[in-house]
Amino acid sequence: METTGWALIGGMAVIAFVARAIFILPGGAFSLPPTAERVLRYAPAAALMAIIVPSLALSQGAIALSFENVRLVAGLFAFGIALATRSILLTIVGGMLALTLARWLLG
Amino acid sequence: MTLQPGQRAALRRGALAAAPLLVGMMPFGVVVGLAMVSAGLTQAQAVAMSILVFAGSAQLAVLPLFIAGAPLWVMCATGLVVNLRYVIYSAVLAPYFDQLSRPWRALLSYITVDGIFALYVGRHQPADGDPHKHWYYLGGSLVMWVGWQLASWIGIFAGALIPKSWSLEFASTLGLIALLLPLLFDRAVVWGALAAGGVVLAAARLPLNLGLLAAIVAGVLVGLAVARFGAARS
Repeated sequence: METTGWALIGGMAVIAFVARAIFILPGGAFSLPPTAERVLRYAPAAALMAIIVPSLALSQGAIALSFENVRLVAGLFAFGIALATRSILLTIVGGMLALTLARWLLG
Repeated sequence: MTLQPGQRAALRRGALAAAPLLVGMMPFGVVVGLAMVSAGLTQAQAVAMSILVFAGSAQLAVLPLFIAGAPLWVMCATGLVVNLRYVIYSAVLAPYFDQLSRPWRALLSYITVDGIFALYVGRHQPADGDPHKHWYYLGGSLVMWVGWQLASWIGIFAGALIPKSWSLEFASTLGLIALLLPLLFDRAVVWGALAAGGVVLAAARLPLNLGLLAAIVAGVLVGLAVARFGAARS
């Protein structure tokens, strides 16, 4: 796991730099075609949703869409907080409290 | 290095303009720091990641995949997708910086963050005749960089003291939820994201990673389709 960690850090460092430098470093004026700009806007939201959903709705590899799934309950609660407050901090604190409470209630 | 008065003034203006942004950014830095160590990175790795990668949302996004043991290329592909907004920033910023030397352009690329990008583009034009505007960009970005590293280190070293039973790794999923909502700015993005969520569940039996990539592709295609349909109708 430690070797994978270093490889991940190296890979991500290259990716993060190249994404930011790709037009700045060569210099000059560029304009992205509108379709490319759309794809660049839709992909991150799709990726985040595709990471969030399994960590809420899967339990030991199986779909668990019930109120006994404490992560799902806490996650939906956190969506509500994020929608209402737009605050990263409140979303995380509220979601962790909801997880603790749901575990305690469903024991 | 001695700075000319104009350069120093621009550096200071940028730094002062960035200071209020720290309030929102530093708690997020603490969370990313905590999330890195609770995902199983060592403290040295977490510090290295926060300096070398310096992209909080992408760092947070790959951690659940790291915990699940996803292959390296899948984690990197995901990090790339989450970082795609920087490609847009890069295209917008290129004409601002094209008179600068290559080391300057490399430095300003590395240090680019959302908040300073928005401030800078709102305040300056590529050919507005201000010869010191890159110092403004650097001043603001340096404040954000230092604030981010401090916050991240607080999280990294506090994370080691928090017991495993708190399930702190769940905080990274919660952080991603908070990052996702502001991205859902129109109907097409919302439908795209919902499609991605549906596909990733439907593909739960496939090896995790195939489902993730299929979900991203499906999300983009549905987003494009909804945008086209919506445009044709109105």
